[in-house]
Amino acid sequence: MEKTKQLTLYVDTRRCMGCRACETACKLENALPAGPRYTMVTETEVVEDGVDKLKFLPVPCQHCADAPCVKACPTGALFKREDGVVLVNRRKCIGCHECLWSCPFGVPQFGVDGKMQKCTLCAFRLDRGEMPACARACPAEAILVGTTEEISATLRSRYGAQCAAAQMMSQGRCDPPQTAK
Amino acid sequence: MEAMNPVPWRKHEDLDRFAVERNVPVTLGGKVVIADRVVKTSCPHNCYDTCGERVYVKDEKVIKIEGDPDHPITRGHLCLKGFANVAKINSPDRVKYPLLRVGERGEGKFKRITWDEAMDFMVEKLTKIREQYGPEALSEYCYSGNREHMAKTVMGRFLNLYGASKLVGSFCLLSGAAGSFHTVGTQHTMMPDVWCEKAEVIMIVGRNSSATNPHIYPFLYRAKERGAKLIVVDPYATGLASKADLHLRPRPGTDGAMALGMMHWIIKKGLQDQAFIDQYTYGFEELKKLVEPWTPEYTQEVTTIPKEQIIEAAELFATHKSHLECGYGQQRYSNGHQTQRALACLAAICGRIGKEDGGYNFIDSMGFPSVGEHAFANTARVTNPEGADIPPARMINIASFATAIHEAKDPPIKAVIAYRGGLISQQPNVDYTIEAVKSLDLFVVIEQFMTDDTDYADLVLPGCHYLEQYGLHPSYWHHYLQLQVPVCQPPYECVPDIEIFEELGRRMGYEAYFPRERTGLDYIRMMVGDHCDLDKALSPNGPLRLPEEYCPRVPYADHKFDTPSGKVELYSNTMEQRGKEFPGDFCPLPHFLEPDESLPGTPELAKKYPINVISQHPAFRTHSQYYNLPWIQEIEGPAKIYINPEDAQERGIQDGDLVRVFNDRGELVNILARVSRRIKPHVAEMSSGMWVKLGGSVNKLTSCSVGGPRDIMSTGGIMYAYHPLLDGNTGGYFNTLIDIQKM
Repeated sequence: MEKTKQLTLYVDTRRCMGCRACETACKLENALPAGPRYTMVTETEVVEDGVDKLKFLPVPCQHCADAPCVKACPTGALFKREDGVVLVNRRKCIGCHECLWSCPFGVPQFGVDGKMQKCTLCAFRLDRGEMPACARACPAEAILVGTTEEISATLRSRYGAQCAAAQMMSQGRCDPPQTAK
Repeated sequence: MEAMNPVPWRKHEDLDRFAVERNVPVTLGGKVVIADRVVKTSCPHNCYDTCGERVYVKDEKVIKIEGDPDHPITRGHLCLKGFANVAKINSPDRVKYPLLRVGERGEGKFKRITWDEAMDFMVEKLTKIREQYGPEALSEYCYSGNREHMAKTVMGRFLNLYGASKLVGSFCLLSGAAGSFHTVGTQHTMMPDVWCEKAEVIMIVGRNSSATNPHIYPFLYRAKERGAKLIVVDPYATGLASKADLHLRPRPGTDGAMALGMMHWIIKKGLQDQAFIDQYTYGFEELKKLVEPWTPEYTQEVTTIPKEQIIEAAELFATHKSHLECGYGQQRYSNGHQTQRALACLAAICGRIGKEDGGYNFIDSMGFPSVGEHAFANTARVTNPEGADIPPARMINIASFATAIHEAKDPPIKAVIAYRGGLISQQPNVDYTIEAVKSLDLFVVIEQFMTDDTDYADLVLPGCHYLEQYGLHPSYWHHYLQLQVPVCQPPYECVPDIEIFEELGRRMGYEAYFPRERTGLDYIRMMVGDHCDLDKALSPNGPLRLPEEYCPRVPYADHKFDTPSGKVELYSNTMEQRGKEFPGDFCPLPHFLEPDESLPGTPELAKKYPINVISQHPAFRTHSQYYNLPWIQEIEGPAKIYINPEDAQERGIQDGDLVRVFNDRGELVNILARVSRRIKPHVAEMSSGMWVKLGGSVNKLTSCSVGGPRDIMSTGGIMYAYHPLLDGNTGGYFNTLIDIQKM
């Protein structure tokens, strides 16, 4: 598998602002009742330079490159697709929760049937050339899905100009940008 | 056919004509489903964003909803409630049939009756009440649950024919709107795609966009990524405030004092835009005198914002291309009108009005599209049918609705028909409201669910979700219009609001005024007339950019203001004039008043109740709607109150404890305490809109005081002359002092 094909879900935390649209978009897309949650927005209070702030981070499946859940699954129900998406074959799942113990993010969910279910990165949407529901929903356009190269390009377009300007300024090479200090 | 339409007089239109596409494959639950059609509509739930939506329908059921990518502002995204509409419209808990009360009021015991029986019941009661008390004993109760304007207008037609009292005013934002109107005249907003490209400083006051305006973010981030600085004014560390470069945290209700302090510093340092002031404003010398005592030290004392921050904000705002975006939180106090006046004056003395690199936004006049001489919609064409004899009627202000029921005489208010609003959950001082409702002879509630209101109703009628009916809701923030259309036929015996009013009208003897063939769309066309091609805003078309003459791209660019002086009135001539005619705080200068209840303003009360509770709008609800959905409850969890560690420690409260929250008006028990620095000392926060019967309604505690220049409480909420933009009104929800105890 070429490294560049691995899809990544990246949350631009500078942008996520805690509206939780991704949570119900996910419920709707995956036809989920209350109970299993494929993504959850976490909220943390921090103090930055003496200022109280909230930090938000949606935590769906990270689709780890070296996924511990796949290794932990005793029945081979969990597997990694060519594009890196980690999926579960629910027919093989025996509901043993080994994947939950091994997952550093607490991602695996268990509904009323006791079998594991989780974020699929909307694999069936990806296969149709559509963005995952959470990324499509996000009003802040904070959730990015793509290869690392694609995501880097988006981030460069957002923050590259600032970084370049800051670097040049620190080297005394140009005036500050024509905006507020 | 009867099975398709169990209510014979309910309209059954061909809705396929609204299809953007037919037989559309759509992913759902990991499968591809073929939807019969996808229809464009927009969300009328009283929100800045008024999102464009694409709704997928199969077998006359909504199966999926997504943002409309053709909408230039909402860009294909929705909020969490937007997606939850699919759960809401298909909920098994919908009110499905007319229900007649069989128990005591409040018990929630009902029996199913037919629509014919329900109509007969209403006709009999309304006829009797009119005979006994006169027609003004009837009032509607309606607010922004579905904020589209057409249905209210059709109900207005019925009420006018009957001769009922008129419901006027607002308990939401007219306090600030009046303050703003007295300053700059007709209200316009500049869209975010304009200011985000050139503004250098963006100051947002009293709005947590994460909960109430999420679609501002791509534009805000665009500005920030260009290097613009964000100043946020909010007592609470909100999602938006967490993105700020400078977060000012005033004591609740002192945003106006903050603006006065900023103006003091700006004038002292000579940073004002004197050319703009000289040419386009009126009363600068008087304003200058007003702000003289507002030194940074004094402003800090009043607002608790550190003086260095006041100075920093003042200098940033005055020396850059700044944009001021005002929410509605800052004006939900008894002094809200003066607060908004002060903010408008701040923008004006810095010359930040009428420029595309940053302006002054409060609410677009499209938020009240029928107010004013040059209004977009003429509601009178619907409410006052030709040939009908419409007698003048007294007015009841919604900001004091319970007071009016308690106090109105000659005639008393005996009948209320409620729709699109939660009277008991949303009005302040719940117990007082319930007492009022109990005194009625007839309380009819049109609802989708069994809410706090329905428990007290004599008759509950199965209402429709907004996706099942027509609507006109131009955004009050952006300028794109997408009409609401019924995307599917109503389920069960649910009936669109206007069809209930029409049928009631026909049965009350006004057949001539409610022709059967007329649809909601026809009424919308009657209101708007021919100065706007509504077909372009009607699915499969839309959204439509509203005409520039109503919604200029850069508002006030011509520096024409429809105030008496034709200028921005720092000293308000209209307030001076209105103050001679009516009681209230019509001080022509934006002076600072302590809210009706506050720690320094009411020190005796503050000894007993030393915490000021503010109740923000959470992302989870529009007011009380969506609260009953499992998807939403799962995310939000139990009712909670945020309190500062200092206040918690004093009371021996730890994070996660259950507490009692109380004052003289009421109490809430078993509320989860979250001890958090996101809230200032002596302030607490409980989100608004939780249901009374589920134990979390902050309105058990909130006060009945009213914001806006006009004093409406002195007349018990009854009035004979009223202008929304001159007189205002907002519920002073945040003028509320409480105490908290560990359970």
